[in-house]
Amino acid sequence: MALARVERLTFTYPDAVAPALREVTVGIENGEHVALLGASGSGKSTLVRALAGLVPHFHGGRFEGRVEVDGRDTRRVSPAELAGTVASVFQDPEEQIVLTRVASEVAFGLENIGTPPNEILPRVLEALVAVGAEHLADRPVAELSGGELQRVCLAAALALRPRLLLLDEPTSQLDPPTADAFLELVSGTGVATVIAEQRPRRVLRHADRVLFLEDGRLLVDAMPSEAEEWLAANRTEWLGLPDRDEDSERGESICRLSRVSFAYRAGLPVLDGIDLELCRGEVVALSGPNGSGKTTLAKVVAGLLAPDAGSVERRGRAAMLLQDPSRYCVCERVDEEVALGVGGDRALARASLALVGLSVFEDRHPRDLSSGERERLALASVLVVEPDVLVLDEPTRGVDPRRKVELAGLLRTSAHRRATLLVTHDEEFAAAVADRTIELGRVPALV
Amino acid sequence: MRPAAAVALLAALAAAALLATHAWSAGAIAAVLFLVCLRAPRGRRRLYLLGTGISAAALFILTPFIETVGSHPIWTGPIVPVLGQLDVTHEELASAALNALRLAAVGLAFAAYALLLDHDRLLQSVRFARPAALATRLMPTLERDAAGFVEALRGRGIEVTGVRGRATLLSPLLASSLERGLNLAEAMEARGYGRPGRTSLPSQPWRLRDYAALAAAAAIVAVGALWL
Repeated sequence: MALARVERLTFTYPDAVAPALREVTVGIENGEHVALLGASGSGKSTLVRALAGLVPHFHGGRFEGRVEVDGRDTRRVSPAELAGTVASVFQDPEEQIVLTRVASEVAFGLENIGTPPNEILPRVLEALVAVGAEHLADRPVAELSGGELQRVCLAAALALRPRLLLLDEPTSQLDPPTADAFLELVSGTGVATVIAEQRPRRVLRHADRVLFLEDGRLLVDAMPSEAEEWLAANRTEWLGLPDRDEDSERGESICRLSRVSFAYRAGLPVLDGIDLELCRGEVVALSGPNGSGKTTLAKVVAGLLAPDAGSVERRGRAAMLLQDPSRYCVCERVDEEVALGVGGDRALARASLALVGLSVFEDRHPRDLSSGERERLALASVLVVEPDVLVLDEPTRGVDPRRKVELAGLLRTSAHRRATLLVTHDEEFAAAVADRTIELGRVPALV
Repeated sequence: MRPAAAVALLAALAAAALLATHAWSAGAIAAVLFLVCLRAPRGRRRLYLLGTGISAAALFILTPFIETVGSHPIWTGPIVPVLGQLDVTHEELASAALNALRLAAVGLAFAAYALLLDHDRLLQSVRFARPAALATRLMPTLERDAAGFVEALRGRGIEVTGVRGRATLLSPLLASSLERGLNLAEAMEARGYGRPGRTSLPSQPWRLRDYAALAAAAAIVAVGALWL
């Protein structure tokens, strides 16, 4: 018998016009690793939530069909009762951390499901060791990086020893080696896993089966090789971005960093003697492991941080797109939000919204947009100021392949207008867009 | 040391500072608590130390103009409606210093509590522990959100200055808190929160040093009341 079974599930969120899932039928066997692919708004997260019982219990809405997990109908048992059998890790680790210390946080779920008190601590430590985070046990969560928080969330899920592990874009904040190690680790647990992803290459290597959702419909339920063939024939952008046509013409120097050093804590430099030059027309990718100082360097380039030592020369205006798109929800309307950077000029704002495909949403509240749409709103809010130095920090996080192709095209076609610095873990995107790549953390002194 | 014992020590130091009648003793307690706060990371402790410092300094500056004690004036100013004759006496300065140092000691004791203690363990046995733990995280989260909004605006070339500029961030801050609250509630339910039969991590046994800390706390209050 299948561990989880979804039968003809159609679900519509309260106040939504169209269903998020339509007639979806799928089964998940014990120990099976399932990659769940689909664009933003395709219904991936909704399906994950249906398997956890959160749809419909937490969200309400109209639910037709049936979902069974471990023989239990999710309409009759609450998500809290399913916890332990099912464990979930959602997209943003910061929004699922409950307690203040790592060990207590990992213990939280175990306490809720009534684990005998003398078993809790050993299981907490076992889970932390499994994700390579045992050294974090006594640390306050407020001091952890995004990558470390993601490990803690996975440890909290694994500590429950679930039979079904649900992961919603779990590697979005991890550098490539750490993301690979993370997926290896999940594969090695022997627990049935559903991983919702928008970067398919890595998860396909670890999957036993692939599901592809589009507009709430399940289009593909196949073995990885068959799914790849289908993607190659029907959704080519999911298997890679088109190659860059040609190198940009390098113009005058716009930004020059000389021997720049920066430390958040005295004696622990994040940047140490960095040299960097950005010229008009070029797109430079900045990569490197988590914690290597990429975002810090980007903020120095954009003028958001002043270096402790060294100099920064910048000609013209700099603008930076930060990682978290919810920081671009200050105004009550989408067009007002974009116009904020250009003194309230709505015409310029509308042009920028058109550039990222958000024209139809100009009178909506920014918080009514989906996460993918918020990413584009943030980009429009930065592009509208027409910067001479454009700094983008992880612009493809949470962005589906189709939008990624569009973003790559946008950056390439407008590259001649500015110098662009792109901070990214997305090697494929960097290869498709950047004229050169700087590896921070490997050659920190001279780039 | 158990967090409860550490809380007793911090509370005792704050109480001793309030009971102290000499500026030097309140100052010594504030200095000890300041050194304790330095164990917290620089980025996190800054706001607490700044807040405490500004409050204490404001109290020191305002007290001589509000109090009317002493007969040894250092400075005599104009007559102001409602307040009357403005002057600063030796006695008022001494009183202002004592009150400011008391306030500093209480503020620093709270800072040490907020920055250094394990609130999860402290609140473990209390029924309202989870909401209390979440409430403990509210301030740092709001602080981080506000800094994030300001940084994102600066990244678009917009400087947020003055009280009016910062006031515009109140609405987005409230909205992001509500959004985060909903997401957190969902994650908590998925992790079994609210299910009957909850257990908890066994609490650590009380050790000799914990009892010693409690005894020291009682002694500090007594010394504060009798000799400081």
